[in-house]
Amino acid sequence: MTQEPSQETTVTGPAPGPMADLFRQVLPGVQMTAKQTAIDVAITVRREDLPRVMQAVKEDQRLAFDFLRSLSGVDHMDELEVVYHLYSYKLGHSAAIKVRCPPDDPHLPSVSHLWQTANWHEREAAEMFGFVFDGHPDLRPLLTEEGLGYYSLRKTHPLAEIEEWQEDYVTAAEAGEPPGERARKKEMARRKAAIIKEVREEARARGLAAEEEKEAVQAAIKAFQEQEEALAKKAREEARAKGPAAEEKGGE
Amino acid sequence: MAIDYGAPHEKELETIDVNVNVGPQHPATHGVFRMVLTVDGEQVVDLDPVIGYLHRGAEKLSENCDYRQGIGYQDRTEYLGQFNAELCYVLAVEKLAGIQSPERAEYIRVILTELNRVTSHHMFMGAFGSDVGLFGTSFMYSFRDREMVLDLFEEVTGERMMYAYFRPGGVAWDVPDDFRERCRDVLTVVRRGIDDIDGLMTENEVVVARCRGLSPLTPEDAINWGITGPMLRATGLKHDLRRAEPYSIYDRFEFDIPTGTQGDVYDRYLVRLEEMRQSVRIAEQALEQMPDGPIMAEGLKRTLRLPEGEVYMRNETPRGEYGIYLVSNGADRPYRLKIRSPAFSNLSALKAMCVGTYVADTIINLGSIDIVLCEVDR
Repeated sequence: MTQEPSQETTVTGPAPGPMADLFRQVLPGVQMTAKQTAIDVAITVRREDLPRVMQAVKEDQRLAFDFLRSLSGVDHMDELEVVYHLYSYKLGHSAAIKVRCPPDDPHLPSVSHLWQTANWHEREAAEMFGFVFDGHPDLRPLLTEEGLGYYSLRKTHPLAEIEEWQEDYVTAAEAGEPPGERARKKEMARRKAAIIKEVREEARARGLAAEEEKEAVQAAIKAFQEQEEALAKKAREEARAKGPAAEEKGGE
Repeated sequence: MAIDYGAPHEKELETIDVNVNVGPQHPATHGVFRMVLTVDGEQVVDLDPVIGYLHRGAEKLSENCDYRQGIGYQDRTEYLGQFNAELCYVLAVEKLAGIQSPERAEYIRVILTELNRVTSHHMFMGAFGSDVGLFGTSFMYSFRDREMVLDLFEEVTGERMMYAYFRPGGVAWDVPDDFRERCRDVLTVVRRGIDDIDGLMTENEVVVARCRGLSPLTPEDAINWGITGPMLRATGLKHDLRRAEPYSIYDRFEFDIPTGTQGDVYDRYLVRLEEMRQSVRIAEQALEQMPDGPIMAEGLKRTLRLPEGEVYMRNETPRGEYGIYLVSNGADRPYRLKIRSPAFSNLSALKAMCVGTYVADTIINLGSIDIVLCEVDR
């Protein structure tokens, strides 16, 4: 084995310029944007260029990315993104390639014929985000054998709300009554969010600066909380007037 | 009346492939892992690994807790190399936030991380010896020393397994006053213990006969399958992230990168054995150089808010390249946190390694990957 990684490579990596230039040299005529992240350079390409780009970055001797470190899906709400982190043992450099697709058409070309390791990584991304990797030999779910019926890592699948909902459901079923305290808190949070949104929109319509907008929102939150506290206090006093047992129940 | 049975051997005996299910509850699968073997006699013709029994959604959970709470999930993901995983996570956060942790904290981290690598390989030595056929002896020797190191970890962190000791910007609290002496004692014991394991297994006839020449991998194949860590070095490729992309303060220490020659199971064992010695070497150097001083970066807020951006931080854990892909949108929690688990990628090559070998060798092959199922499934 003659491949020796260069000893000089540091974790800071090359500046955005050289690596991006190298990409442009290897792939003339491909539309791409380069961005320096904390360590690697991230190159964003269009979906239709992906097969050509991937073929080139692996086989061209100037890039020679022989190792696919990681393949991650990211949900950007309006778009889904796949990030390929690549490393070259031969040249000792690394880069990331990104590609985006709309959530209602999550088709992407598979790269498992270039890097065997992509096989499982793509299966995982497919089950967690709902990607369809065209040309993948076996796109069964990997970690959830029977499938979940939803894409758990998408942002449209919030963790907290579902848990809360389940807990509510269980406690309500046990007690045989509608969920109380938790539902009240949820309702309060919803009202708070509505107030924040309203104030923010109003501030934007009036053309306030970001700092002023923040202040206005904070003032609105404070007013809301004070109002809530006053209501709660009143409720406590009423409960106290009724008797100690009722107060205990109401306070909790 | 004579019955015509036909001429002998007129009809060939039909042979069919048989499916053998191994696991998920099986002592040789090192956790909850299942594989469906298709065997032709004693030979494996196909293998279908089934994972996901320990899928807890660690990535999703990490998106729902702030940067300090997320440390705990790293322990639970890599439960044999906890400090290694924690280090990757806190380095990712520090990288994005632009925090520099103080010298002393860096040294404490390196010492614990390297000792942790040793304990992880202790586990490998024990389990691998059992797989090969030494039954409990290898476990006895390696766990005798492992306990000593775990006692030290307990003194430092208060925990034997789920440490949650590293923090973005330093470590949670300072080490005990007698840390240096205790650490020296432990390192002496561990060094002697590695020689014991060496004497027990390296030239053991059973180990050599069963492992030499089994499932050799070429560097090209290994890279293509995404194999990293000791398994990659066993193929002869001299690549260690501590050297190739130095993180933390690893550029200050002298150590060798052990490599194999054939990439077979025996080489994987040898590389790990030598790696234990190198880890002890690094820990000793770090102990020598460790300065006094603060253990936490100053001016950090209780709740960290990272600036918008992303980072793919990677480090060398006992199993290979552990990566954290962290995307931040400016909130106090990650927008997306992907864990690139080395055992996951290494395990995906199991089929390629096993097809054509005997059924009994499958277990050794699996053992040589040194899987941690929590990390595979996440």
